[in-house]
Amino acid sequence: MNGLPLNIDIQQILLHLLNFTILFAGLYFILYKPVRKFMDSREEYFKKLDDEAKGLVEESEKAKAEFENRLKAADSEINAKKEAAGKETFAERERIITAANEEAATILKKARDKAQSEHDRIINDAQKEIAQIVNEATEKIVLRSDLDTYDEFLNASKKVEDDE
Amino acid sequence: MSKKRIIVSAIIFAVLIAGLLVGIFLTNNPNQVQEESIQEVMKDAVLHEHVKVSLFGLKDVNPALISAFITTGIILLFSIIVRIFVIPRFKLIPGKFQIILESAVGLFDGTSKTNSPHKYKLLRVYMFVAGTYIAVSTIFELLGVQVMATNGRPITLSAPLADINGAIMLGVTTYLFILFNGLFVSGPRGFFGTLKDFSLPISMSLRLFGALLSGALVTELVYYYKLTSFVIPVFVAIAFTLMHAIIQAYVLTMLLSIFYGEATEEHEKKEKKEKKSKKIKNNNQESLSSEV
Repeated sequence: MNGLPLNIDIQQILLHLLNFTILFAGLYFILYKPVRKFMDSREEYFKKLDDEAKGLVEESEKAKAEFENRLKAADSEINAKKEAAGKETFAERERIITAANEEAATILKKARDKAQSEHDRIINDAQKEIAQIVNEATEKIVLRSDLDTYDEFLNASKKVEDDE
Repeated sequence: MSKKRIIVSAIIFAVLIAGLLVGIFLTNNPNQVQEESIQEVMKDAVLHEHVKVSLFGLKDVNPALISAFITTGIILLFSIIVRIFVIPRFKLIPGKFQIILESAVGLFDGTSKTNSPHKYKLLRVYMFVAGTYIAVSTIFELLGVQVMATNGRPITLSAPLADINGAIMLGVTTYLFILFNGLFVSGPRGFFGTLKDFSLPISMSLRLFGALLSGALVTELVYYYKLTSFVIPVFVAIAFTLMHAIIQAYVLTMLLSIFYGEATEEHEKKEKKEKKSKKIKNNNQESLSSEV
């Protein structure tokens, strides 16, 4: 027996400690460490898979965003082209209308000029004809009664003086 | 299982029990006197003054020390078998036994991380080993392993921690583990912070000793008297042993993680305080320089 109460024995405590130390080392190296290593490696494996999946999702989201951007760009390009084509069509239409108007104006002017020149020509011809008729008539009258005409004139003028 | 088979099994069981009871009562010697009084039995269960076991002929020790060695042997043998035959066949999608092993190894992960977030790897190993030792060594009592005492009588080995020496070893070792980790992690502050709780090793040792001894004493008491030694010991022994195995493993590991967390927490606080004081100093210097 030693002097400590409750049969406390330092040597036996140390023997218990030796036992516990052996248990600690053995349990750690034989069981705990390999199981923990496996658990960690599996966690790492699934984490890697998870990271890869996340990466793939991120990539697909990026591709989706890029695709949407491209789609938007294509849409805006189509709209711009549509607008440009509309503008071009409008301009072409305007140009055609303007050209048609101009052509019509030219034709009209030409027609008017032609009508005017025809009119002038007809007037001239008529005037010439009238003048010719007048000349011919005058000649006829003059040649038929030169003296009678003179006398008639004198008589007429004398009558007018008498009336006054 | 069919109904007929259940009835047959129940009849066989009842006949067996009845036969055993008849046998026990017929072999009873009314003139036999108990060699030890209940007081002596109780005292010996607590102090182990008279019942000793020879340790390889070197020294007479308490039976609990032999229990401790056998428990360690059982645990290490189990570990070696698992290491050789089970662990190499571990699969990514675990089977039932693998789940049990992984759950046991990872049982204290959450507690250790919660109570000591920045320094928990060694803590969880210690918690695992201590928890396993307490649980297995307490359940070991149920095996009823018998050895020859130095007085020439066979005795049944009790739980290692039902011996004051075993309980003191675990309580003090746990305390020293907290103390020195506090020193290594937090420096003198952690060390003296733990040293302040000098009652911790005593309380941990006596808690283990008291709890496990109480189970052993109740079982001894129940077995001592003939009337209570039928059926009741089965429930009493199993209930006390299993409950203590789980409760004491849980209590010690919880206390360990909480005190460990406190011992190593100081370091973080100190760092924060230092950072804060540095910030205040820098701010003061800046304000001074701007004023100048």
